[in-house]
Amino acid sequence: MEYISPEGLRLDGRRPMEMRQLHAELGVIAKADGSATFEMGNTKVVAAVYGPREVQNRSQQLQEQALVRCEYSMATFSTGERRKRGKGDRRSTEISLVIRQTMESAILTHLLPRSQIDIFVQVLQADGGTRSACINAAALALADAGIPMRDLVASCAAGFLNNTPLLDLNYTEDSGGGPDVTVGVFPKLDKISLLQMDSKLPIDLFEKVLELATEGAKATAEYMRERLSENTRQLVSARGLLRF
Amino acid sequence: MVASHPKAGAEDNRGAAAMLQSKSFVKKTRQGRLLKIVREHYLRDDIACGAVYCSICDKSTACLSDTTSPILIVDTNVVLQQIDLLENLAMSNVVILSVVLDEAKNKNLSVYNRLRTICSNPTRHFFVFANEHHKDTYIKGMVGESPNDRNDRAIRVASQWYQRHLGGSTKILLLTNDAENRKKAREEGIIAETVQAYVQALGKPELLDLVARSQVENVFKHDVEDLRPSKRKVVYAEHKAMSEITSGLRQKIYHQGKFRVNRYNPFEAYVGSESVGDEIVIKGKTDMNRAFDGDVVAVELLPQECWQDGSGKIVEDDDEEEEEVVGLVPASADDAPKNQALEGMSEKSISIGIARPTGRVIGIIKRNWRPYCGSLEPMPLPAGGGGTVHALFVAADRRIPKIRIQTRQLSNLLDKRIIVAVDSWEQTSRYPSGHYVRSIGEIGDRATESEVLLIENDINTRPFSEQVLACLPPLPWSMSAEDLRNPYRRDLRHVRVFSVDPIGCKDIDDALNCTLLPNGNFQVAVHIADVTNFVHPNTPLDEEASQRGTSVYLVERRIDMLPKPLTEDICSLRADVERLAFSVLWEMSPDADILSVEFTKSIIKSCAALSYVEAQARMDDSRLSDPLTLDLRNMNKLAKIMRRRRIESGALTLASPEVKFEIDTETHDPLDVGMYQVREANQMIEEFMLAANVSVAGHILKHFPMCSLLRRHPIPTPKMFEPLLRTAAAVGIHLDISSSKALADSLDEAQGDDPYFNKLIRILATRCMTQAVYFCSGELSPPEFHHYGLAAPLYTHFTSPIRRYADVIVHRLLAASLGLNKLPDLLRDKSLLTSISDNLNYRHRNAQMAGRASVELHTLIFFRNRPTEAEARIVKIRSNGLIVFVPKYGIEGPVYLTKKGTKEETELVSDIDGKWIIDEEHQTLLSQDGKRRYKVLERLSIYIQVVEPQPNRPKLELTLMKAC
Amino acid sequence: MKTKAMEDAAAIYRTPGELLGSAFDYIAGTGTYTFQNKVYASLVGVQHIVEARSGAADLRPSIEVRREKQRGAIPQPGDIVTAKIAKVQARMASADIVCVGQRAVKEKFTGTVRQQDVRATEIDKVDMHASFRPGDIIRAEVLSLGDARAYYLSTAKNELGVVSAMSVAGATMVPISWQEMQCPLTNQTEPRKVAKVE
Repeated sequence: MEYISPEGLRLDGRRPMEMRQLHAELGVIAKADGSATFEMGNTKVVAAVYGPREVQNRSQQLQEQALVRCEYSMATFSTGERRKRGKGDRRSTEISLVIRQTMESAILTHLLPRSQIDIFVQVLQADGGTRSACINAAALALADAGIPMRDLVASCAAGFLNNTPLLDLNYTEDSGGGPDVTVGVFPKLDKISLLQMDSKLPIDLFEKVLELATEGAKATAEYMRERLSENTRQLVSARGLLRF
Repeated sequence: MVASHPKAGAEDNRGAAAMLQSKSFVKKTRQGRLLKIVREHYLRDDIACGAVYCSICDKSTACLSDTTSPILIVDTNVVLQQIDLLENLAMSNVVILSVVLDEAKNKNLSVYNRLRTICSNPTRHFFVFANEHHKDTYIKGMVGESPNDRNDRAIRVASQWYQRHLGGSTKILLLTNDAENRKKAREEGIIAETVQAYVQALGKPELLDLVARSQVENVFKHDVEDLRPSKRKVVYAEHKAMSEITSGLRQKIYHQGKFRVNRYNPFEAYVGSESVGDEIVIKGKTDMNRAFDGDVVAVELLPQECWQDGSGKIVEDDDEEEEEVVGLVPASADDAPKNQALEGMSEKSISIGIARPTGRVIGIIKRNWRPYCGSLEPMPLPAGGGGTVHALFVAADRRIPKIRIQTRQLSNLLDKRIIVAVDSWEQTSRYPSGHYVRSIGEIGDRATESEVLLIENDINTRPFSEQVLACLPPLPWSMSAEDLRNPYRRDLRHVRVFSVDPIGCKDIDDALNCTLLPNGNFQVAVHIADVTNFVHPNTPLDEEASQRGTSVYLVERRIDMLPKPLTEDICSLRADVERLAFSVLWEMSPDADILSVEFTKSIIKSCAALSYVEAQARMDDSRLSDPLTLDLRNMNKLAKIMRRRRIESGALTLASPEVKFEIDTETHDPLDVGMYQVREANQMIEEFMLAANVSVAGHILKHFPMCSLLRRHPIPTPKMFEPLLRTAAAVGIHLDISSSKALADSLDEAQGDDPYFNKLIRILATRCMTQAVYFCSGELSPPEFHHYGLAAPLYTHFTSPIRRYADVIVHRLLAASLGLNKLPDLLRDKSLLTSISDNLNYRHRNAQMAGRASVELHTLIFFRNRPTEAEARIVKIRSNGLIVFVPKYGIEGPVYLTKKGTKEETELVSDIDGKWIIDEEHQTLLSQDGKRRYKVLERLSIYIQVVEPQPNRPKLELTLMKAC
Repeated sequence: MKTKAMEDAAAIYRTPGELLGSAFDYIAGTGTYTFQNKVYASLVGVQHIVEARSGAADLRPSIEVRREKQRGAIPQPGDIVTAKIAKVQARMASADIVCVGQRAVKEKFTGTVRQQDVRATEIDKVDMHASFRPGDIIRAEVLSLGDARAYYLSTAKNELGVVSAMSVAGATMVPISWQEMQCPLTNQTEPRKVAKVE
C-alpha cells in the first residue's frame, strides 16, 4: 500500500516530517485538582489529576515520597466500532504502567511524602498515537494541578513506511505493519523518559526514526508551554479584573 | 530536519475554511457492519503547478516546459480507457490530477502502474498535480452530489485554477469523453474536447488507431443494418451486479475462483473453488460468458443432471476446432495436455467418467486483461482502402478468444505480428472489442516470432538501463589490493582449479579442484563466482536482477539476468585470470565420504576452462597423465561413487527428451537438430554441484530456520502416475510408485526387447513429475522440504548465481551465516521471502516455457522446407488415432488414422475409412477388419512436414508411412 | 508607580523545567528546584524575585514561581473554619469542615470537637447535646491536625460556636444568649453553644 505518494504527500496530505494539528485545553474538569484535554489530529484524550492527597490505602503509603497512581481507559465510543473495554485488560494495564512510570520520573516526589497523586487518563477518540497524547495530557494536567515537576514531559511517535521515516502516525499508517517508535522526553533537560517500539528496525534506521520522534516531541513541548503560559496569563488577567 | 505542526493560528478558525478539513464516510466491513470512518485532510499552500516557466511556484519538481503545445488535463475515463494512447510518445505536456490518479488506482491497478511509470519518466513531461490537497483546488462534495460528480467537478475546478494560474502563457485543454462534463466545462470557461477530436487535430493518423472506442461505439457489429437497441441480439447472459454477487457468495449459491482455460481446448475452462472443494468445469462459450483466462469470476453451479466430466464433447458451432497439436515432449505434468482420460476426441456422448461439478459464469469479479500478441485473421482487403475497417485479431495464446479491432492500416497489418489490448466485451457482441497497440514484425520471421514468445511469457528483453549499468565496477576490472587484504577471503590461487562447461560457454559460474592430500584423502572444492560481491542489495542492478529472476535461454540467444560485463568477464571464472569466488571445501575419503565441510570466500585462478568433450577425451585417453588429467580422473571416480550412493537412496534418473540445435552462424537458421548427448563428464560435474547445493542448504537452514530459500520437489500424487502405470501395464511391466527408490528400481528393471525401450519408459515417467519450486523455509514444515527427484531431505540452488537470482539470495544467506555480511532486511521477513520465491518460480516457469516455445519455433523453421521421414514410438492411443513420440527430434504429436476434415489422403496410407476399436487394457488399437493393430511403445515410421491449413498459422504434421 | 496592569504585563510566565538562573546567583524559592548548580522551575506560574532580608546570612535573592490557581483550602492549626455538625456523642461532636476562612474546601475534611474544647469555662461539666445538634453550622478554630481520622476543633471562644441552626419545627433559629437560641415560629428555646457574631 502506498503510504506516501511519489509527490511526497501522505494519505492525509501531510509531508513525512509534519505532525498533526495539536490542541490543548486546561482546567476542563472543575472538581479535579488539575485537568487537561489534548488533541493530536483526531486523537482526543482527557486527563485529570487528583492530589496530592491522603493515601487511601495505608499499606501502600511511602514514607519518603509521594505515591503516584495512574489509570488509563478508552471510552467505548473511542474507536470506529463501539466496543466495551474492561479496565483490567492487558493493553490498558500496560499503558497505565507506562504513563505512571513516565510521570513518576518527572514529578519531584520527595517534596510530597506520604501523599498520593492520582492520574486518570481517558481516550475519547482514538486515531493513532494515543499513548503520546495520553502522556502529553497527563503532563499538562499535572502542571495545572501545581504538582512540582522536574520538567514537562512531551511525547510523540514516529514510524517507518515505504522506506521513509514518518512523524506522528495516524491509525491508518499505524496499521500499516511498520515499526512504531514512541518517545517521551524532558525537552529542556534533553533527556528521554520513555522509549517504546513495536516491530523491528535495523539500528541505523532506528536512530533516524528516534531522532525524528524526539524532534516531534520537542515541538509538542513548545506548544504545551505556550498553552500553559497562555492559561496563566488568562488567570492573571482574570484576577486583575476581579480586583478592579 | 524540521518537525513542524500547524501553528496555533490554524486553530483559531476551526470552524471557518481551515487548512485542516475532515473527510468522513461510511464503509461496510466484510461482516456487513457499517463503520463510520473519519479522516483528516490537510490542505497545503506549498504545492507547485509543475510548469518550469511559472514565476510563483516552486520549480524543483517542475517538468512542463513546452509553451507552444497546450497543457492537457485528462479525466479518469480517458486514463482508464486510453492508456495505450497516453503511453505513446506523441502525448506530452500532460497534467495528471491526484483525484484522477486515485480513481484509476481503485479501478484498475495495472493501468495505474503504467501511468505512474510514465509520470516518473521526466522526458515524457507528465506532471502529477496534488489537487486534492491544494487549498485552492480542494472542494467538498455538495449535498446530494454523487462521488463521481464531485470528482468531475474537482477536475473542472483544477482546470480552472490552471487556467487562471498559467492561462497567460499556455493554452489549457481538458480531455474528456463525457459529454456532460464537456458541456459544464465549457460553461465554466474551460476549453474541453474529446480524445478523438484532439488526436484528429494532431494530424497523426497512426495515433487514431490507438484510440480505444468507447462503449457507445461498440454498436457497430456485423449486423450493421439494425442499430436499434431492441433489435440487437443478446448473445450472452447479463453479468450480475456486484452486490448480488457478494450476497450470493455469502449464501454459498455462487462460488468464486480463478478462471483457467484449458490450453488444449479453448472452449473448456476450470474454476478452482474452495467452497466446492473441487474444480468447477465450465463448458462452451455461452456458459463461459465472456470470462478470460486469469479473471476472478463468480460461478453458479448447474443442476446435478447437467454435470459432465472434463473431457467431453464440444457443443460448439464455432469455426474453431479443437485439436491436439504437435509440439515438444512434455517435461512434466504441467506441460502435458489436460485430457488425460482415454476417451479423447470420440463423438460418443459422455456417460463414462465421473461427473464433476459443472457450472456457468454469472459475473466477473476482477478482470485480468493484458495486451496480447498475435495476428489478424486473414480477410479480403476492402475496396478503396484507407478507411477504417473491422478486423478480427487472433491471439498467439490459444486460450484467448478472437478480438475485434478497428484499424486504418489493414493492408499493412495483415502479415504482421501485432499487440492488441482489450477494451470491453458487450453482451450483444460475439467477440470482445479491443484496439491495436503496436506491431512487432512480420509473421514467420524468426526474430519477430522470438519476440512474440518472449512477450507472451512476460520476459523483459529491454537493454539494461543507465542506472543499472552505473552499478557496475569500472572496466577493465582486475582484483584490487583491498580484495587481497580482506582477511575473510582465502587465497587459493596456488590451487589447481579448472572448470568444465558446454562448448562456447562464456559465463562460467563454477570451477572445481580435486587435490590429493598427504593423508590419502582428497580435498575437493567447488568454487562459485562471487556475484554478491558486485551485486549489492537495494541497488538498481539488484532490483532489475530480482525482477528478471533468471537468465532465459532461447535457441539462438540468451537473455541475461545481469549485464554482460558481469556475466562474461568480471564474475566469470575464466582461465588464467584471478577471480573472486565463494567456495565450498570438502575433505573426502577415497570412498567419497564427506569428513568435513567448510565455506569461505576465496580468490582463485583457474588453470583451464575445458568443455565436456575435452574433459571426457582427457579422461579417456590413457596416454595422458598430467596432473590436471589425474585430478579429473580422481574426481570422476569420486563422482561415480557419490552417484551410486544417491541412486541407492532413491534418486531418480529420468531421461531428458531435450534436443539440441545446430545453428547456422550467418542466417541463424537451424541446420540440424539432435538429441542432447550426456557424457560421464556431465554427470561428474552435476554430482558435485548437487553435493554443494545440499551442503549449503544444510548450513543456511541451521542458521536461518525461518527464512532460508530452499528448493523442494513435491511428491507426485498417485493420480499423476496413472497414465504411466496404464501404459506400462499394457506391455506387462509393473512399476512400483510407493517411493522414489521403488520407482527407480522398477524403472531399472523395465527392460524390453529393444535397447531404446527403457529410455522410453523413463521419458514417459518424466511427464508424471511435479515441478520443483523455491520456497521459504518458514512457510512449510520440515517433511515438506523433501526433494523427491533427488531423494534429498534438503536442497537449494547455490551454484549458478550468474544466471539465477535464487542463487544470489542463497549467497547472501550463506555470507550472513558466516558473519561476513549482515542479512538484508528483505530476507528477514518471511512473507517477503515467500513473495520473492513466488516471483522466482513464476519467472523460472516462464523461462522454461519460453525456451520450449523457442525450440518449437526452431523445429518448425527446420522442417519448413525439409519434410523428413523418421522413426517414432507410440505413446498413447486415441479412438481415431495415435500419439507418437519421435526420439530423434524430441517432438510428439498426433497421427490420425481416420479421415479428418478436408485433409487429403496420402497415397501411402490406404483404407483409412472405418472406425477403430480400442482395447483399454492392452492399450491397443485394432482396425475393424482386424488386419492392423497398433500397440503402445511399438515402432512406427512417420512423415514430418509443415503445413499451413490456415494462412500464417504453420504447424507440424505427422502422418503414417508404414508400420514396422 | 507600577500599576497592577503594568505589573501583569511585565510578568514572566514559567513552566516546569525552565532554566531560571544559576544557583550561585539565586536561592531556590517555592516552586523551583536545583539541579547541577542551576535553578529550574517546577511549577507553572509567574516568576517572582524576592530580595534577601537585610542582615540575612545569605544575601542572594530568592527566585520563586507562584501559582495563579489556588489549591483547595486545607485547614491548618489556627485557622477559623466553618463546619457542619454530623454526629453528636457523649464526649465529642463530629463535624464536616466546609470552609476554611473565606475559601471553600475542595475535599471533605472531618473535624472533632471534644468535650473539653467546647467552651473555656467548666469544661468537665459540658453537656454535648446541650451545645450542638446534628445539622448545626458552627464556626470553630483548628487546634491541631488531630489523629488520622479528624482535625481537632475548638469552639472555646466567644466568637466561636453555633452560627446557624434549625429548630425542631424547621425554622432557622435566632440566638438569644450564648446558651440559647429561639425558634421564631414556636417561640421555643433550645440550648446551644452560640457564637457571638459581630
